Amino acid sequence: MKRRYARLLAGLTAVMMLAGCGAPEEQKNRGASAEGEGSGGSAGTADVSDTSAADEGSGEKGAGDGGWDYQEDTLTLLIDSDASQAGLLAVCDLAKEKLGITVEIETRVGGPDGRNIVKTRLASGDMSDLCIFNSGCLLGELSPGEYFIDLSDEPWADQLEDTFRDAASVDGKLYGIPFAASTAGLVLYNREIYEEYQLKVPATWDEFMENCEVLKENGETALIGSFGTMWTAQVPYLGDHYNVIAQEPDFAAGFQAGTAKYASTAAALRSFEKLEATVPYYNEDYMATGYDDGCEMLANGEGAHWIVLSGALANIYELYGEEVNKIGGFAIPGDDAADNGLTVWMPSGIYGNKNSEHADSIKRFMEFYISEEAIQAYSEALLPEGPYVIKGVELPENAYTAVKDMAAYYDSGKVTTAMEFQCQIKGANCGAICQECVSGQITGAQAAAKYDEDCKKQALQLGISWE
Amino acid sequence: MNKKKLYSAWFLVPTLLVFGTLFLLPMATSFFFSLTVWNLRDFTFVGLENFKMFLKEGSLNIGIRNTLVYALCGCSMKLVLAFFIAVFLNSGIRSKHLLRAVVFFPNLVSTVAVGITFKALMHPSKGLFNRVLELMGLARVDWLGNPDLALFSVVGTDVWKGVGVATVIYIAGMQAIDKTYYEAAAIDGATGAQRLLYLTLPLCRPAMHSVMILAFIGGLRSFDLIWSMTGGGPGFATDVLASVIYKQYAEGFYGLSTAGNVIMLGLIMLLAFPLQKFLLSREAD
Repeated sequence: MKRRYARLLAGLTAVMMLAGCGAPEEQKNRGASAEGEGSGGSAGTADVSDTSAADEGSGEKGAGDGGWDYQEDTLTLLIDSDASQAGLLAVCDLAKEKLGITVEIETRVGGPDGRNIVKTRLASGDMSDLCIFNSGCLLGELSPGEYFIDLSDEPWADQLEDTFRDAASVDGKLYGIPFAASTAGLVLYNREIYEEYQLKVPATWDEFMENCEVLKENGETALIGSFGTMWTAQVPYLGDHYNVIAQEPDFAAGFQAGTAKYASTAAALRSFEKLEATVPYYNEDYMATGYDDGCEMLANGEGAHWIVLSGALANIYELYGEEVNKIGGFAIPGDDAADNGLTVWMPSGIYGNKNSEHADSIKRFMEFYISEEAIQAYSEALLPEGPYVIKGVELPENAYTAVKDMAAYYDSGKVTTAMEFQCQIKGANCGAICQECVSGQITGAQAAAKYDEDCKKQALQLGISWE
Repeated sequence: MNKKKLYSAWFLVPTLLVFGTLFLLPMATSFFFSLTVWNLRDFTFVGLENFKMFLKEGSLNIGIRNTLVYALCGCSMKLVLAFFIAVFLNSGIRSKHLLRAVVFFPNLVSTVAVGITFKALMHPSKGLFNRVLELMGLARVDWLGNPDLALFSVVGTDVWKGVGVATVIYIAGMQAIDKTYYEAAAIDGATGAQRLLYLTLPLCRPAMHSVMILAFIGGLRSFDLIWSMTGGGPGFATDVLASVIYKQYAEGFYGLSTAGNVIMLGLIMLLAFPLQKFLLSREAD
């Protein structure tokens, strides 16, 4: 009996020492980590050092190479099926080798159904160890304080860019690390079609519509509509946020307070009017075309433009390889050619389950996931869909053409985060309302008014008085 | 006497217990939570705000209209179609046993599988339906993408799937009709149409009532077929009460979705009970 206590105590000390002083040391070492020594922390050595740690109460757990702790463990991870997993899988393979952590991936559907699964699994205490979910206002809906591990005090969390930190924090506490690079809502276009018709990248919305008109007259599908996947219907509106903010810098704050409305703010109403203006140019089967169909159409030149998140590039790359470099990108044009910029989304976060028995391994995995080593492995398997949100990490040389196009906006500072990172309120039916608009049931102005109305529900739920 | 009553009452206890904990108690709590803004942990009392919102907002109350359209159309089509199929299958044709099985078959397939299959069949450019239409030289139809048509496309699928059950009920009803009536009518020189109209139709009325009640209530609470075919879209064009409620729940508006459930419960009771009473009273004479 006594011996058992002693062991327990020894184990505890080991854990505490690791948590207390282990981390900064590891960070120093990490830069020097060599990749060749991969097999350094094999299962055999780990077992030996593990028992010795428990018996002698020493803090040296696992002699993992590159300063990483090696201790075998298995974590479960829940991800939505729309996300490209190649990068994640590469990091997981590396984590198994270096950290001894095996990650079992469970998939869920994307969109509202997927959010429902996450909420239900959290509420019923059935969440996996790691969970991938949106950052920004949707994270706030999960009450992360109740369910997720607080990472605010982890020393490695300082590597995260502040914009992401804000997006993955609720009430000043950080809960997530970036799952991937940032993305943008933009117009992806097939450059071969542009060359064929000698079109120029449009600087204003009117020029964009003219390009579409030319394409339509020549029998091309000017715009790809993939509204069979409902969330894609809202990208033209959401991705227009830079143009709203350029004219009305206080719009997001006003909207949250209930003083500004989409229907009554000219610049914001314009986003919905533009959505309505796109209607004549879509492919015939746009209500039945899904996200994957959209990727196929753009890569094969069956459509010239697609207003979508830049995450589609990774999907296209996975499916069609180098074809992805035929695709360029530009921000959704506004009415002012001089002030047009990109609306960006912070990546989804990876969150750790607070009630998991593997809290230690979760943190080890997270620290590893945002290390240079892991990011390199990630971008070898899957190129980023936009700039990274980790300090000091640059875009790789062979980034997708469209991502390089995006980088130009970053370089000139013409970037803003999407509405959901600036305002807590996002209407639940945003996708459906936009779908209603593009299917010609309501006008842009009606859609704007309907969206304002829809947001009331969220405001009420959050206890924000809008009366 | 009293003791005897008490004795038999004990037999009710297990049922009451199950009914109470699984039905009455949740119903009472849902009445309460429908008056609150609720996030599963704590709640704020808001009175009838949720109900007002549900009935006032276009994206919510469209569900009530669509539910009624869906239930009425589906129910009446099943009622008529199944009657004629049953008459046909009840006649002296040779392969009637096989055909009965075939008619009943769609009902054995999972609704979601049916939904996904029909969604593919109704795809505007790649679907089989439009390919056939094109071969026949007709214009394509956007079955699920056209907001005016989408709901009826789903109703059609529902009828395809549900007509089998209705047919079986009709056949059972028709077989219970005494053959002597038909013999008498034949002797009197009644034509086939007359026999159908004045004998079969009135005499299988009990079966017809069962079909009506089952199809109508089934239509009112339908969800799975709609969700797998359109997800309520395009926009909100095919949203029924159940899918609207589900969406509010999925978004975390638990109070609002509970209010929707209360409205749905009320609507079903309001329509189904009088309908049943009316049908029963007609059966009596």
